[in-house]
Parts: sequence; structure tokens; C-alpha cells
Amino acid sequence: MIETDVLVIGAGPAGSSAAKHAALNGAKVLMIEKKSEIGAPKRCAEGVSKDGLIQLGVEPSSRWITSEIDGVRLVSPGGTDVWLTRDTVKLPEMGYVVERKVFDKFMAMDAARAGADIMVKTLARGLERKGGHIIVKAECMGEEFEIKAKVIIGADGPESRVGRWGGLKTTVKPKDMESGAQFEMVGVEMENPNALEFYFGSVAPGGYAWVFPKGKDIANVGLAVISTLTEKSAYEHLVEFAKNCPTTKNATAVELNIGGDPVGGILKKISTDNLLVVGDAAGMVNPLTGGGIISGMQGGVIAGEIAAAAIKEGDVSEERFAEYDERCQKELGSSFNKYMKARNYLESLSDDELDSIAKTFNESEFERISTTELLKVLVNVSPKALLKLGKLF
Amino acid sequence: MIVKEWCMYCGECAGVCPRGLIEAREINLVFDEENCKDCQICINCCPVRALEKEE
Repeated sequence: MIETDVLVIGAGPAGSSAAKHAALNGAKVLMIEKKSEIGAPKRCAEGVSKDGLIQLGVEPSSRWITSEIDGVRLVSPGGTDVWLTRDTVKLPEMGYVVERKVFDKFMAMDAARAGADIMVKTLARGLERKGGHIIVKAECMGEEFEIKAKVIIGADGPESRVGRWGGLKTTVKPKDMESGAQFEMVGVEMENPNALEFYFGSVAPGGYAWVFPKGKDIANVGLAVISTLTEKSAYEHLVEFAKNCPTTKNATAVELNIGGDPVGGILKKISTDNLLVVGDAAGMVNPLTGGGIISGMQGGVIAGEIAAAAIKEGDVSEERFAEYDERCQKELGSSFNKYMKARNYLESLSDDELDSIAKTFNESEFERISTTELLKVLVNVSPKALLKLGKLF
Repeated sequence: MIVKEWCMYCGECAGVCPRGLIEAREINLVFDEENCKDCQICINCCPVRALEKEE
């Protein structure tokens, strides 16, 4: 039997961040990953914000940055463009499109350098509580064994089973699970290869489509839908979008990625005796954008710090871990609630209303743009949209 | 449950299963069919329609 203080299950950015910070705070840490390669295959559009990385103390590296982003193009269903670039408005520091299979490994290596052990191709099969510890049944290359830990951190993605084993309600309702499909494509004809492109409306019911540049003519071209709002699969929507979108109609796919994105906000309860969940497993995903790398890593920092402190104090009870729930709700959950309302609002708009907003938006003048100011402009430009927004708040 | 050859084991089905009956491995899906109540949520959410109910 392997014994450790903290066992992290799942080596995505949230898991690696938790492992790193638990180790930095003095805990003996083991992180296991069911896949043979950390970070692959990706299930993500690969966008991260500069501010987020700075807050996490992650130094940008040319090893995992594929492009730097300094603008956004919003496209309405009828094809009206709204450009938000440095030429038109004062933009906050934007971000990067990263190569997840390199980025995730880089973060895992960071955790290892901080003192965490890592086992790849190792699957957790179940757990039981015994004498103040948790015993996890695991399997690696056909060998079954047990891992005894004081604290488990479940970072096993939207399909999390770790939380359920521990008694947490981590099931995602279909209306809160965005179903995503994405091609990495070459031959993409972007007007600005440093701008993210977003396409709204019936092209992706309940979500949106995106073109995230990874080079001059290379991009992640994807979309996410809510499966309860459409008869077609995410993949069928994607094929249609890629074929019809002027930016991608002449491009060729070199990779296909799929996966779910839990956009219902942070779960009500994300800790219990001896156990915390983090990242997608805890719903740490921006409900509006579906982005979860930075927020998952922020959750990982909190989880790692609190797990290590609790072990030092000799108290790994549910009561002790209430601090984890409180900090995550305060530091991440409050902004997610705002984004959730914005998502509900966008979901309620018809293609015609989105076109009308885009047209009026282009006639508006503003100097600086932020998510909040963007929403204010949206409210001001369409009385009909304003009425709908009023009903949601 | 029939898992079609093009399943990519993304695990979305496991995330939405209300009874937690699906285990998504790296290149395999394991269903606890005995306890399945046939809600078909997993079938409907699959991004590539790779799941089919066994008749």
C-alpha cells in the first residue's frame, strides 16, 4: 500500500495546481492521472487570460504559448461584425492561446519540482474511509493496489466520480453541461490572427462558436451547445459551422476534440470529510465563456493550501474544510453568479435580436471595454433586450 | 449500451449520468447496466452520438 498525506486524482491544471501548493505547504503529495499523457487529448479551446496567469504567478513561456491575443471579434447570426481591438477601444490585458498538451505537462512538472510525486496511466476505482484516512483502490498497467491518504483532492474533470464516492453531489444536469466539439484547422482565413472570434445565435444553441488562433492560418475552430436545446449533436453543428463560416470554409481539420463543459457554476458543496473537489469536477468554470483553466488553477491553489494546513493541524474534517467552500465561493463563485445571469440573458435572445444588438453596438461609442461595460452597452442598445434582461435580474 | 467505434471517451456521458453509473477510462467506457433506469441522458448529450441503447 502507498501512503501519502494528499492524493490528487487528475493531473489537469487544477490538479497540478493543487498538488504544487499542497507540496509547497509541507504535505507529502501524490498525483495520479488516468491517461498515459498529461494534457492530451485536449478538451478545450485553449484560451487563458494574462491577468489570470499573473495572479497565479505563472511565468508565460514560449514552450506553450501559440499566439498572443489583443482583440476580439463578435459575429452576430446575420454576419454583423463587432470588433473590439486596441485600435477601437482601450482593452484590458488580454491573453494567450496555449498548447494544452504542453501547458498541462509544464504545470505537472511544476508540481513535481515542488515535491509532488506523479503516476500516469493510473486509474482510481473507488474509495473507502478507514480510521480517519481514505483508502483509494487504484489500477496501473493491470496492477491493482491501494493508496492510503489523509486528504483526497478530486480533480477528475466534469465526469468526476471522486466527489460522488465521497458523498458529494457532483452530477451535472444536462441543461448545465455544454457539449463541445472542436477541430484544430489549417488554412483558416482570419482577418486578424491575434483576435479571438465568437459567433452567436442558432449556430450553437445555448452556447457559441469560436475561432481561436494558434498561428497565422491555424486555429481551434469549435462550438458548444446545450444538448437539451438542439436535436443535432455538437459534432453535427461543428461540421455545418466549419463548412459555412467564411473564415473556415477553405480550412482543413488536423485534429478533432470533444468534451463536456459544466457551466452551471460552482457546486453547492465541494468538500466533505477528508475530501475536496476542484476544477471542472467542482464546476469552477465561467458560465458565460466556458473557460475553466485559470479558475480551476485558482481553486487548486486554495485546495492545496487548505489541505496542507488541515493536515498540519490534524483536522481533516468536513467542518475544517468549510473554509475551502467559503473561499472558493467568495473568490470565484460571486463573479460566476454574474456571468450566469449574462449567459441566461444571451440564451434568451433570438437571432434577430442578436443582429439588432450588433448593429446598434457598432453605432455606439465607448472608450474602454470590460465584461461589465459590455453588458451595460448591450442593455442600452436594445429596449427589447433590456426587457428580457430585466426579467432575469 | 452499445458504444460505437467512434467514441472518443471524453466522459461527458459520465458527468451527466444521474446515477453515476458510467466510468470513463482512457480508452473504454464501463456501464453499470444493472442499475440503469434508461433515462437516455447519456445518449442525448454525447457530442458525437456514439452511444446507442441495446434493444
